[in-house]
Amino acid sequence: MTMRRLLLMVAGLVVVSAACSTAPSGPLPDPPLPITTAELEAIVATDSPSVVNVWASWCLPCRSEAPIVAAATRSHPDVEFIGLNVKDRDGDAAAFIAEFLADADMTHYGDRGGRIPIDLGGTSGVPLTFFYAEGGELVYLHFGVIDEPTMARYLDEIDR
Amino acid sequence: MEFTLLAAAAFSVAGFWLMLRWEAPRGNAAGCAVDLWDAGLTSVIAGLFVGRLTAMVTAGINPLTDPLQIILIRSGVSTTATVVATFAVFALLSRRDLIAAADAIAPSALAGLAGWHAGCLPTNACLGTESTLPWAWALPGSMITRHPVELYAALGLAVAAVVLAIWKQRGRPPIGAPASVALVAAGGVRLITEPMRISLDGGPVLLYAASVVLGGAGLVASYGAKRRRSMTRG
Repeated sequence: MTMRRLLLMVAGLVVVSAACSTAPSGPLPDPPLPITTAELEAIVATDSPSVVNVWASWCLPCRSEAPIVAAATRSHPDVEFIGLNVKDRDGDAAAFIAEFLADADMTHYGDRGGRIPIDLGGTSGVPLTFFYAEGGELVYLHFGVIDEPTMARYLDEIDR
Repeated sequence: MEFTLLAAAAFSVAGFWLMLRWEAPRGNAAGCAVDLWDAGLTSVIAGLFVGRLTAMVTAGINPLTDPLQIILIRSGVSTTATVVATFAVFALLSRRDLIAAADAIAPSALAGLAGWHAGCLPTNACLGTESTLPWAWALPGSMITRHPVELYAALGLAVAAVVLAIWKQRGRPPIGAPASVALVAAGGVRLITEPMRISLDGGPVLLYAASVVLGGAGLVASYGAKRRRSMTRG
């Protein structure tokens, strides 16, 4: 009896949560700008620390990670946050930005071929997060969904 | 759940189980009809589920259209929702014997929390703010040494768990007092260590403070009830 009640509560919670989740409305933002590996390396080699978050609209874990990235952009205004959208269509990428990264203070670039993360030392999988110190030294590369403590810890490493 | 959190979960379950086993021969749950192992694990799993759903809704992710996202615990759970749901489910499971069950499970819950924090070791996720203390260490490739803040929390909670278990056995505390002390210890350890922890939003400090206040109030109430009972008898 208790188990049945618990299952009913779980089902109810899922339905209520689904009802509370809303999709964005209004015009979509601009799609990510195309970029090359050399151009991205030049951007991260500036005088400010930077974080490159590799994402794609078809990557389900990227949706869960997006709020952490958005919160990080707000808490570390001195860090340059770059979103690198890979292997995606412009419309899908713009819709993803509107839905999950609208309040993130970051610039998005696009890499249709998905080659740049591999050139930078990563893999073809998403999500990935690169942490660069001033001057473009790679301090840490995180594979997969990043959690809030890890994001905060490595931001503290590069932002000083 | 993602594999990187499995170590923390395994340490946590191990801590919980070890304390239950240590207390069992000492009559920990004598007269308590609740199976503490089942109730404890069910409550925590249900709490995590609710906490994850809450975090998903807050992030605008629909759990019906993206059900697989529920297992991405690593990308965030709502601590407050998790704690409230865990207590609610535990209360539901042990409603006929709630206070006795809460007292019985209190040291094991603290040991489980200690295990969760100690679970940072396999993933090297123990470090907090900068420190030059002799035991501070650095992240791989870094020169900046840091407080192993998660180990401080693990140590504090483990000591609290053992002291509470011994006090329960030898001190004969009034009913409700061990659970109250556990609340104070759980919230207090997090409050003390929070300034050494690095986070994006400062952490749910109010929740920890509420835990300390609630535990303190419970402690006062349990001793007050004991005094009233002894006066009635006298």
